[in-house]
Amino acid sequence: METATASSSSSPASISFYDFLDRMRNPASLDLVRSIKSFIVSFSFYAPNPESDGKRVQDFFLSMETSIRDHPLWAGASDEEIDCAMEGLEKYVMTKLFSRAFACCPDDLRIDQEIAEKISMLQTFLRPEHLDIPTILRSESSWLLAEKELGKINAHKAPREKLLCIMNCCRVINNLLLNASMSEKHVLAGADDFLPVLIYVTIKANPPQLHSNLKFIQLYRRQAKLTSEAAYYFTNLVSAKSFIVDLHAKSLSIDEIEFEENMQVAKLANKVPDEDPCPTRDGEDGLRRETGVGTFTAMNFKERSNSGLQYSFNNLFELAKMHMIVTGSPYPFMQAEARDLTVGDVERLLRLYKDVVDKYTNLCTAYRHLASSKLESGHFKGSTASCCYEQPETSVSRQREDGADI
Amino acid sequence: MASTGNKNINAKLVLLGDVGAGKSSLVLRFVKGQFVEFQESTIGAAFFSQTLAVNDATVKFEIWDTAGQERYHSLAPMYYRGAAAAIIVYDITNQASFERAKKWVQELQAQGNPNMVMALAGNKADLLDARKVTSEEAQSYAQENGLFFMETSAKTAANVNDVFYEIAKRLPRVQPAPNPSGMVLMDRPAERTASASCCS
Repeated sequence: METATASSSSSPASISFYDFLDRMRNPASLDLVRSIKSFIVSFSFYAPNPESDGKRVQDFFLSMETSIRDHPLWAGASDEEIDCAMEGLEKYVMTKLFSRAFACCPDDLRIDQEIAEKISMLQTFLRPEHLDIPTILRSESSWLLAEKELGKINAHKAPREKLLCIMNCCRVINNLLLNASMSEKHVLAGADDFLPVLIYVTIKANPPQLHSNLKFIQLYRRQAKLTSEAAYYFTNLVSAKSFIVDLHAKSLSIDEIEFEENMQVAKLANKVPDEDPCPTRDGEDGLRRETGVGTFTAMNFKERSNSGLQYSFNNLFELAKMHMIVTGSPYPFMQAEARDLTVGDVERLLRLYKDVVDKYTNLCTAYRHLASSKLESGHFKGSTASCCYEQPETSVSRQREDGADI
Repeated sequence: MASTGNKNINAKLVLLGDVGAGKSSLVLRFVKGQFVEFQESTIGAAFFSQTLAVNDATVKFEIWDTAGQERYHSLAPMYYRGAAAAIIVYDITNQASFERAKKWVQELQAQGNPNMVMALAGNKADLLDARKVTSEEAQSYAQENGLFFMETSAKTAANVNDVFYEIAKRLPRVQPAPNPSGMVLMDRPAERTASASCCS
């Protein structure tokens, strides 16, 4: 309808999606619309089951392709036009079924969480040489760009657009490798170089819900489209994920003890924000001073890590513990049992409770702020060359498309 | 899988071999050296495509390179699943790379598609002075295991095209029954060979 002209996005996919919606709103396609709607409704009759859901959707796409080919509205249409209609259909159906089809098993969420946690631990110490990535391929700007493309994967609901994020990430790496082989005396080493860089970029990006996104693309991207180069890049990310999941000291060029130590430190640091923040009596002033000390101490780790943030929190944690040992606990009820308490303690307990919650909230906010500002600065640096790649829709048009109906 | 349609065959070909055996140099030599009218080729860093005209058909190779480092060995099945052909590459100046190649052959025989066309390529054949693996040894190994064998040189181009032509000739001309188990990936051939699309 009017949304087609109002669209600010000029990407071909977006145009074809509005074209698809327009044709579906044509009274002549009422039969197609009925099939689509009844298919979507039929999904609510069954309990979610990824395997059979994927098969039903793929079968539906195939039967709809035949219907569209034979339909008067597409009479004499080229293969490309039919393909555009099918892309529109995939996007429409999967946007409507998204909440039902994406990460629908409790296992998916657990696996996503485990992978994200493992990656965030690896982030604290992993360096390119641990994967034997040649120096000439250590291009911070290319990597940031590739990370940024991969990081967009959760911003889309259509399988095609999610796959496009993977493709764009891999194309950045592809170009990096080709440029290196042209400009220097580095012979193109193909997958020997490609996979380690992709693994490193994936760890740096820690793309949200990696497992669920891969599963969703595999089940719901039209099978005729998950072939050839797209299938190759997709398989590479699947294998990068698998490598990360199984990763242990022997998977890397790193000393085993050093690996275990780093993982322990990272585990501790990752837990700080949600476990026992150990506030001090000094309040805001003390917190500020200790953050300063923590950051300073973290600088000693700088040559070991590009994520000083994790270390500064870890050090903050250790320092706060030491502070408590030296000055005595500011929270006298820590060792108390419920039966020891009297009504007279309530006022003091409540005051301490509020104090703890305040400090904890401030800490969490500060942590999130630090983490997100780090992320943003990374994105900003990487944004320079993104125009070279086909981009899925902007968020504005996406919101409109999510709500689109036929 | 290899798929047919008007004698157009799409064939997924996977490259296996030790790091530094020259897998990608071999393919680059092949992909850059061919010119087939009206056919596009892809020259990526790790994925390549190239079309060959053999007597009775046009074969479009989709070539998947794999990482040769030992630490990625367990990932290989994701790459060779559904492949119609494999080239196992070793370096004739490096005995260890030949041993590694044998492991790949064993693995493919045990795990791979039973109709897969397998080639053993002894690369860097121009470096005769540094040879560690004799041609006879490799030849007899290939015969025992039902592969075809050639010594190649990505540097001089010797035998490079021949390996791919030989594979193209040996690919089954009739599409095997689709594999009902296995992953959705690659089971279905591209619906149309004219894949230029306004949307992708």
